[in-house]
Amino acid sequence: MSDGLARLLNHLPFWPGLALRSPERMRRFRRAQLSLDYDQALFWSTLLLLVLGLIMVYSSSVAIAEASGNFHHQTGYFLYRQATFVAIGLLVGLVTFQIPSKTWQELAPWLFMAGLAMLILVLIPGIGRDVNGARRWVPVGPFSLQPSEFMKLAVALYAADYTCRKMDLLYSLTRGLLPMFGLILLVGFILLREPDFGAFVVIAAIGISVLFIGGMNWRWFIGVLMLMFVGFAVLVFTSPYRRDRMFGFMDPWADALGRGYQLSHSLIAFGRGQWWGVGLGGSLEKLFYLPEAHTDFLLAVIAEELGFAGVCVVTLLFSVLILRVFVIARRAACLDRPFSSLTAYGIGTWLGVQSFINMGVNMGILPTKGLTLPLMSYGGSGIVANCMAIAVVMRIDWESRQLQRGLPA
Amino acid sequence: MYRAGAVQNPWRASLPASRSRLVLAVLLLSMLLLCGRAFFLQAVNHSVLQARGDAYYRRIIEVPAYRGRIVDRNGEPLAVSTPVRSVWAVPSEVEATSAEFAQLARLLELSTHELRARLAETEREFVSLNRSVPPEIAARITALQVPGIFQDTAYRRFYPAGDVMAHLVGFTDLADHGQEGMELAFQKELAGTPGRRGVIRDRKGAVVEDAGLMREAQQGRDVTLSIDARIQSLAFRALRDAVIAQHARAGSIIVLDTQSGEVLALANLPTFNPNNRGQRDPAQLRNRVLTDSFEPGSTLKPFTISVALEEGKVTPDTLIQTAGTFAVGTATIHDAHQEGVLNVAQVIQKSSNIGAAKIALGLTAESMWQMFQSVGFGTAPHLGFPGESGGRLRNYKTWRPIEQATMAYGHGIAVSLAQLAHAYLMFARDGEVIPISLTRSVAEPEAHRVISAKTAKQVRTMLEMAVQPGGTAPAAQIVGYRVGGKTGTAHKPENGTYSESKYIASFVGMAPASHPRFVIAVMIDEPHSGEYYGGQVAAPVFATVMSGALRMFNIAPDAPLTPIALPTSDGVVEEGT
Repeated sequence: MSDGLARLLNHLPFWPGLALRSPERMRRFRRAQLSLDYDQALFWSTLLLLVLGLIMVYSSSVAIAEASGNFHHQTGYFLYRQATFVAIGLLVGLVTFQIPSKTWQELAPWLFMAGLAMLILVLIPGIGRDVNGARRWVPVGPFSLQPSEFMKLAVALYAADYTCRKMDLLYSLTRGLLPMFGLILLVGFILLREPDFGAFVVIAAIGISVLFIGGMNWRWFIGVLMLMFVGFAVLVFTSPYRRDRMFGFMDPWADALGRGYQLSHSLIAFGRGQWWGVGLGGSLEKLFYLPEAHTDFLLAVIAEELGFAGVCVVTLLFSVLILRVFVIARRAACLDRPFSSLTAYGIGTWLGVQSFINMGVNMGILPTKGLTLPLMSYGGSGIVANCMAIAVVMRIDWESRQLQRGLPA
Repeated sequence: MYRAGAVQNPWRASLPASRSRLVLAVLLLSMLLLCGRAFFLQAVNHSVLQARGDAYYRRIIEVPAYRGRIVDRNGEPLAVSTPVRSVWAVPSEVEATSAEFAQLARLLELSTHELRARLAETEREFVSLNRSVPPEIAARITALQVPGIFQDTAYRRFYPAGDVMAHLVGFTDLADHGQEGMELAFQKELAGTPGRRGVIRDRKGAVVEDAGLMREAQQGRDVTLSIDARIQSLAFRALRDAVIAQHARAGSIIVLDTQSGEVLALANLPTFNPNNRGQRDPAQLRNRVLTDSFEPGSTLKPFTISVALEEGKVTPDTLIQTAGTFAVGTATIHDAHQEGVLNVAQVIQKSSNIGAAKIALGLTAESMWQMFQSVGFGTAPHLGFPGESGGRLRNYKTWRPIEQATMAYGHGIAVSLAQLAHAYLMFARDGEVIPISLTRSVAEPEAHRVISAKTAKQVRTMLEMAVQPGGTAPAAQIVGYRVGGKTGTAHKPENGTYSESKYIASFVGMAPASHPRFVIAVMIDEPHSGEYYGGQVAAPVFATVMSGALRMFNIAPDAPLTPIALPTSDGVVEEGT
């Protein structure tokens, strides 16, 4: 292979670094990567998801924004706001990038407590704002803050900090495992009061994943997981109502005008998209059929307008993003930085689990829960919290690169 | 790539790579699973899902067919559809300043208060504001650009002739379905067939894509009536003037063309304005000419005489004693005036009940019944008009002698005014009757003979005598034309007996008597001005309309243009019934 082509390949933004099997190319690639201060693939996949999200939020919200006086009949209402959120997110990310992971570790317990306080604040009547029967927002000026989005980052940080501190006790059930599970259940209890079951699932996934990767005793771990699963199953199966809600997604057509309404329209959107989609802006489902098209069901509009190809691009971008976050986490672990490593693992799990659940819900393989598609769906808190999380990972990566060059992190 | 010494670091052991790889693998496999699911939905199962979607979006909408016009025999429009805009709202989406509100209300011809009340029903998806807004007003409503206000194309039925033609033409409902009259009778022809167009709609019903025309709209056919608008208007005004002058309860008139059997005019009072969709009194809506039957009285005498003449029982000169009273069984028949001995022609001229009854009793019930039946009494005339009355004619086998006697002068039998006019065609057409029709007919009508031409002419001569001085209806005379006709003044049946004070005054006549072109029947229900004889009340209406019709059709005069010899007031012959 000519040197020029190799150099070009080495600088391709999406090169995950796995396909290169020749040691010579591997070495060149690593060198090229390390000559940079950041992970290109992570940066570009994040940016592409944000931009694609912005475009699709606009496309999916045009009709509802124009039709409703709540949005001043302004077609660009959601576009402008989402663009503002992305700008704020990038700015906050830039600031976050300046904060060393050591500071994050010191702040972790306090951030966790602050997050807990915010979640409780949401529940206080007069402060929390109701939307569609869920109380998840605190009004801040012209915007609404959704504390649960920031809580996800706080949990990732705190779980990493906790696991580092209790590294020697992780074999113990009572001193290692249960306190963290207790905290997760406490957060879960508060979140279910809102209710925000989706956020609880994500937060539990972050906590469990960090504990698991951190080296939690296998047997206890599996035992507690089984216990939680059994408890959950009992809860679901003892009440026909909950069972209905849990398994209603399996046959949305049975009640297509009631509970299955949203999902059935999401599935129709997928079906209409076929291979290449009906074209950007051509969605019919967004014309008031599919509720929450610009938030929870953004992927359905992507599937309808951009087809299977569009869905594959989105899943691929998320896969690249998760992979790079895990690679960065692994590198930090190898560099004796367990907190940074576990934080990155937590964030990777967060983005992976949340995007999977959101997309799974859109496609009808998971029960419908109010979870947004990270980096893409409309919503200021989500976008800013996701940008912060990516910035934290990139800081960790930057610190690793510094250490690998023999420089202080 | 690792720093030297990192291998010995105790942390490494506690962050086993296998666990993080497991988590990563699970996450990446989940993404793969999503791709697989998307493949199934989008590349395998897509047609099933699209069919589900089509059930939501794809609609077939009707393309309204233009409703055909109803026109008179000369093409004058009597009912036309004009394009209008139907304005409706989705109340929850309406936003307007109070100035816009006021303007909108004014354009929609609603009060601001009412408009606000209708738009307050925010839970409704559709509120109709005004179904027939003229296009130019609709354009101004569009220009206001108030969100939540929508418009559709619609047609509004307009009746240029208004109340003059209301009963015959009828009207349509808001959905443009015929409700009364010819609008109902010819609903199928007029309505046409709406076209079908496939469209794709958003959830609010707005068409976002046209999926093509599936069937062209078939425009409704025009219906041409036999009516002549000029004669109709003349007949209506003459009738209205009489009804008002007589303080009558109601009145009817029908004009027939004796050559074609076509109805040239048909009017009733009270009437209504079909352009006004407000509350309507059922009494106003009745097309009495066709749907109401009444005891005709003396107008039936010529038919009794015809039977007697036809059977050779009498000749016009046969003398009959009509003095005093005539007892049939326990009943007694009176005449209003003592005339003594009359010949058969004079029985008609003077309208003697006793004379008619005596002649009738010389006939068989069957032959009288045969006559009534042949001229159409007892069966609906089948004009295609909704609710036609067939009148009442009992089977002759059940007739008692007194009934046969009273039927001779038109009691104990009921007919509609249309039936009566139709029956008189027999005298006008020298013994033949032809079916009558409300629509313009091209084909030669099928005639059937009831009596000989000789008998018909003899009776026509008697009818001419009735309008001459010494007859019951000199007021029916027309300068320049020979006129024949018969009056009727019947007591109205009330509570099983005959009312002493309520009458139905009628007149049926034809002109020119030498070769009649028109038959006109007039009926005035309960005149209250003091006069109640058919010759006084109904005959003048006949004269006005007949002279106008003769002029309009350029019918050649058959009498010298000398002033009419009207008898002095005490010379008026009052009829028997």
